[in-house]
Amino acid sequence: MKKELPVAITLILAILYVLANYFTGVAFLDTAKNLLDRWYLIVAAWAVLVGSINLTQIHGRRISGKREGWIFSVWLLICLYGMMFFGIFVAKNASHPGWTFMYNQLIAPMNATVYSTIVFYIGSAAYRAFRVRSPEASVLLVTALIMMLGRVPLGRMLLGGHPALSQMADWILNVPNSAGMRGIQIGACLGGVATALRIALGIERGHLGGTGE
Amino acid sequence: MSIVTGYSFAFWVEILFLVAVIVMIRRARGGMKIPEIYKVAGLEAMDEAIGRCTEMGKPVHFSPGIGDLQNAQTLAAMSILGYVAKQCARYDTDLIATNRNVIVYPLSEEIVKQSFAEVGKLDNFKPDNVRWISDDQFAYATGVTGIMFREKPAANILVGAFWAESLIFAEVGSIAGAIQISGTANTHQIPFFVAACDYCLIGEELYAASAYLSKEPVLLASLVAQDWGKMVGVVLIVVGTVMASVGSNALGTLLSK
Repeated sequence: MKKELPVAITLILAILYVLANYFTGVAFLDTAKNLLDRWYLIVAAWAVLVGSINLTQIHGRRISGKREGWIFSVWLLICLYGMMFFGIFVAKNASHPGWTFMYNQLIAPMNATVYSTIVFYIGSAAYRAFRVRSPEASVLLVTALIMMLGRVPLGRMLLGGHPALSQMADWILNVPNSAGMRGIQIGACLGGVATALRIALGIERGHLGGTGE
Repeated sequence: MSIVTGYSFAFWVEILFLVAVIVMIRRARGGMKIPEIYKVAGLEAMDEAIGRCTEMGKPVHFSPGIGDLQNAQTLAAMSILGYVAKQCARYDTDLIATNRNVIVYPLSEEIVKQSFAEVGKLDNFKPDNVRWISDDQFAYATGVTGIMFREKPAANILVGAFWAESLIFAEVGSIAGAIQISGTANTHQIPFFVAACDYCLIGEELYAASAYLSKEPVLLASLVAQDWGKMVGVVLIVVGTVMASVGSNALGTLLSK
């Protein structure tokens, strides 16, 4: 019963949701879809509380045990609850100047900082990937060189102003690359639909806990 | 009641696909032979990666990506998590499962706990090892980076829906010396995973993982229907190319109905 009930609920709701996406002019389906979307938001809001409790437990234990780096756990909890209490009891809405200050002056720059580190990771990943150790790596290296030179003024300068490298880069991007990507996308879409069907029909139950053996 | 404009073809294709899946499943249940599935290196390496952690006494790190539960990739990742957790429980290896999405987190915890219970090692389950880091993409990436450097997992399994954080995870895992298995259907992130990881599940291989790992005939049967769908797709592409070459847009019109 522990697994049959969730499977039955999944099947009924999946049919409702799929029909609501494909058919129009049925008030019941629209209402059901909107209701399910609202339920999802409510569950998500409660899940934030569960996640916060998990963070508090993990870092609380780290602080009480004075484990290595415990001071960072203190800082994390101050930030977590500080922002939460400020939002609930002081700001009360997303347009409050204090709230927007914290977002624009703290969260946004920190996000941008982490995002910008990707450039260094791209460099180190490219170095490892482009080392010529196999015919495939050679193809990757040559393609990457054409792509890079075709995208910067240096490529055109090296060929005395001729746009050959740029044209080759465009061809690689638009023809073999697009073909490969679309092939992967078709396979992935079918895989996604097959996974959804397996779950809706209750054949795949891994997400219900354990492997079902 | 009518079908939304532009969705008719997709609707009937989905119905046909559903019929194909059901037919194959019935055949599998009836004991009929299921065609052999080709070997997927990334999935074959899953046990090797966990074994490496066991030998080295280090944990496995698992990330289901940053998608929510409405994303089929996340659901596929949850099935793989069940397998990984069970293997870790069998070999008394720690599993650190990190999460970005708050709805995915309790599910991850339940799956890991249930997997430990299924192999009779519930006492070894450590709730602290299933972690919700942050709902923010890059805060999550930073948290995982810290875990990789501090706890030095010997295997880094990244399967699910990833965006810009994919390369951060993969490169940090590489620096930490972990064997890395990745998988996503987000085509723009696949090149990063291919370049930075030891094994990569590309697109549909991610969705096939649960069937492949469980080796259950019923689940494998649905993969065969998936392959039929691909063949139909190839036929449509070839026919469409020929028709477009002779100036006919009939197939395009049919598909957009």
